[in-house]
This record gives sequence, structure tokens and C-alpha cells, in this order.
Amino acid sequence: MINLEKVSFYRADKLIIDDFDGQLNSGELVLLTGANGAGKSTLIQLIAGVLKPNGGRITFNGKDLSEINCKDQALLRSVCPQRRDFHLAFKVKDLIELLPAQRRSFALQNIIEALELDKLMHLPVIQLSLGEQQRVSLAIALVQESNFYLLDEPFSAQDSQSIIRIIKLLKSIANEKGVLVISHSAENLHSYFDREIKLS
Amino acid sequence: MKRAWLYLLMTSILLGLFFLSLQVGVVHLHSSIWDLIGKHDGVDAATVWEVRFPRAMGAVIAGAALGIAGALSQGIFRNPLAEPALIGLTSGSILGTIAVISSGMAAFGSRTNVESAILFAALSAFLVYWISPSKGFGFLITGIAISAILIAISGLLISISARPGIQSLSFWNFGSLSLLSSHTVRVIAPFCEFGFILALFVSRRLDIYSLGESSAHYLGQNPKRTRALAIIALAFLIGPVVSAVGTIAFVGLLVPHIVRLLVGPGHRKALTYNAFVGAILLLIADLLARVLFQPHEIPLGLITSIIGAPALIILLRVKNSQWVAHD
Repeated sequence: MINLEKVSFYRADKLIIDDFDGQLNSGELVLLTGANGAGKSTLIQLIAGVLKPNGGRITFNGKDLSEINCKDQALLRSVCPQRRDFHLAFKVKDLIELLPAQRRSFALQNIIEALELDKLMHLPVIQLSLGEQQRVSLAIALVQESNFYLLDEPFSAQDSQSIIRIIKLLKSIANEKGVLVISHSAENLHSYFDREIKLS
Repeated sequence: MKRAWLYLLMTSILLGLFFLSLQVGVVHLHSSIWDLIGKHDGVDAATVWEVRFPRAMGAVIAGAALGIAGALSQGIFRNPLAEPALIGLTSGSILGTIAVISSGMAAFGSRTNVESAILFAALSAFLVYWISPSKGFGFLITGIAISAILIAISGLLISISARPGIQSLSFWNFGSLSLLSSHTVRVIAPFCEFGFILALFVSRRLDIYSLGESSAHYLGQNPKRTRALAIIALAFLIGPVVSAVGTIAFVGLLVPHIVRLLVGPGHRKALTYNAFVGAILLLIADLLARVLFQPHEIPLGLITSIIGAPALIILLRVKNSQWVAHD
């Protein structure tokens, strides 16, 4: 379980997150919503350990996040950022296999198929469309074997059929894992989510 | 299979050029290289084994180190225009060298000289790292500014130094292999070797790091550690080379672009190719420097600039699909 206790965060003297309490459990698919600038991405970056909270505590299964090193954090949670800047001509296959085999998900093949990447595997990532690049980025995060998945806008630049495939994939991952999704395009998808967290 | 052939091809070119470097020069050899193996007396033997051999070895070591350093710099700054000289490493090495020579603490090409160059290179790069306002562009601009200051201090030290043995600033700015002795080569080789091993280790992290610092963190890599290790590796590659042969422009910048065209963007897989291509380029450049205007020798850095700069522009125009600049 990821637990956030009275977490607050300032950016340049502006209070972005104010005394936030919340949890993410294994086996649930949770939608994180809120207006622009409400701090959704910031919250994911705090849980991911790239930003440090100014107050409060974040724990993974009871252990304080600040006491977990980078490598162990990556075994506990995986993150798909809002955008990844691909700037080298890596093939899609190289990127999906960036992590050593023992740290990759057993469901690798399912993930590749659900994200419709099977035909793109040998193409350079920088020649793909934005939507395709986003799916590669999502694949990198989902292939990383861990307990929790924090996904920032995984449906962006996707058509409606892809969105359905992606949400079904996330639902199947959430059978065992905890999945937190930020999305602006989830109006029709509420039935898939176990609950919603609203940031104000 | 393609890789095996590529290695074979590069090794053959390297050996061929090395042989040519022993053969060609101002002094005309009367006997063949094969007859001189194992011999130490006579003008021919002295020319080949005491002048040309260390010089060719130096070209191989310096070229390999510069090629690897270029790949490491571009990887760590995620910028295809980065090279060691831009981030203070080269000017740091020059200052480190001139500081110990002009103060009389050590002779040119000595161990202390090399160690001082490595130390100053690392300190300069870390200084740039700490004071630069933001990542990426700000980093390079800060590097250029710090480099200018360090070069100015070096020039000042040369101007006020009473030591006749100290080289002019232009020697350091347009490097030359002409001062290489077998002693110097033996001194710098182990340092560069350590840099190479560390670079191999760092390069395994650079493929993940190429997705950005945050992404590296998400995937379980401490990006700060990657940067610090890379800077140390760079100091061990650049410090010894610059202390012995001065600044050799464009090799570090150009080599990674050639290697990406040959074998693609992976840092881990490409590292040894960078060493090969760097060594080959520098052997060619040194041959040209010695042969073009015989009996005059022109500084090596001039040759690498004249060939390297246009080649880089052509490479970028022909195949700009190997990288995309975001900022």
C-alpha cells in the first residue's frame, strides 16, 4: 500500500498540494482528477520520489519513501510521465527492453499487443507519430515489473479504440497491482475505475 | 555478424594506418620496417622506434580516449553538440598542466603533470555542473564561460612564467603529437585505460539516462550518480590526453556521429566503436599533419578542425534522423 499522510508541497512559494491524505492499494484501478494546476502530476512526482514533499509523509508498505533508494523504488512503483522526450533513434524494441530481463513484466507480450506496438518494434522511435510515441512511453512504464503503476495521461493523443484497449489492459494489470491514472479524457470510462480521487 | 565484420574492418584499417605512420615522415627510411624489428642502432631504427612508434601509439590512445569522451559527453548532456571542450574539461586539463609546469612542481609529460591535469579537469567540470543555472543549454553556456576563464588564467601563467621549457598557448590550443616520447605514452596509458573501463561501466547506464533524468529515476537509476561517474571517467580520458598533446578539436564531437551512423544510437553497444573510429581519425590527421607541408609540420588541431568541422556539418545535414533536438 502507498500511503500519503498530510503531504504538502510548495513550488516557488506557491502552495501546490495542501495537507493531502490518500492511499493506493494493490488490486485497485484509481482515477486521479482535478482542474489544471491542481497538482495531479506533482502528486505523482512526489510519490515517484523525484520531488520531495515540504511536509508530511509518503510510505510504501509502511516504509518511508525517503529511506528507499532509487533502485528499490523502481521495484515498488513504475511511472509513465506526461511526456518523454525521445531524442535518439532507438528502435521501439530497444526501449521496451531497456531494463534487464529479470526486471521486465511476464506480461510483456500482452502489453506490446494491447498497445499495438507489434508492427512498430523495429522502427526508430523518433520517426513515430505522437500517439505512437505515447504508447511506447506507456509500454516502457508497464513493462517495468513493480507493485504500483502511476500513469500520467496514458490516453493522451489516442483514438477511442486505442483508449478502450489501454483501459482494458490497465484493468487486467489492476487485478494484482495498484494502478493510479491521471486523465482528462476518462468521462466514458468511469465504469472501469474502482474509485476516483479528486484534487482541488 | 555485421558487428564481427565491422570490428575486423576497423582493426585492419587501424593496423594499416599504424604501419603507414611508422613508414612515412621527413626522414626517409633505407630499410623496411620488418627488418628493423628488434634492432636499436642506426638512424632508421631510432627514427622508427623512438620517434614514430610512440607518436603512433599516442595517436591511437588519444584518438580512442577522445572518441569515447565525445560519446560520453553527448550521452550525459543529452545533446548531440556536446563535447568535452565545451564543459570545461579541456581547459581544466590545460590549466592543471600549465600550473604544475610553470611553478616548477613537475616536468611536462611527468606523472604529476598528468595527475594534476585530471584533477583540474574534474574540478572544472564539477564547477560547471554546480554553478550552471539550468540543465541542457544553460549548462553548455556556463561551460563555455568557465573554459574562457581557465584558458585566460593559463595564458597569464605562461606569460609570467620564467621557464623557457613551457609551451606556448597556441601549442595547447592547437594540439600536436610532436612532443610525444615513449616515456609520456607509458605515463598516460594506464590513466586512459582506467578512464576507458569506467566509461564502459557508465555507458551501460546511458541508454536509460537518454530518456531524461526523471525517466532514469523512474526506471531505477540515480541520475546524479550517473553524471558524477561520467565526469570522473571524462577527466581520466581527457586529462592525460590534453596534458600530453594539447587540445585536439572536433574529434570528440565528430566520432559519436559517425558511430551512430554505423551502428545506431545505443551507448553501451557503441562504446568500443567510438574508440576505434577516434584512433583511426587521429592517425589519419597526424599523417596529414606530418606529410602535407613537408618538411614543415602543421599542428594536429588545425587538421582536425579543417576536416572535422565541414564533415560534421555534412553529417548533420545528410542524416539528421539519428537524433532530434527538443530544446
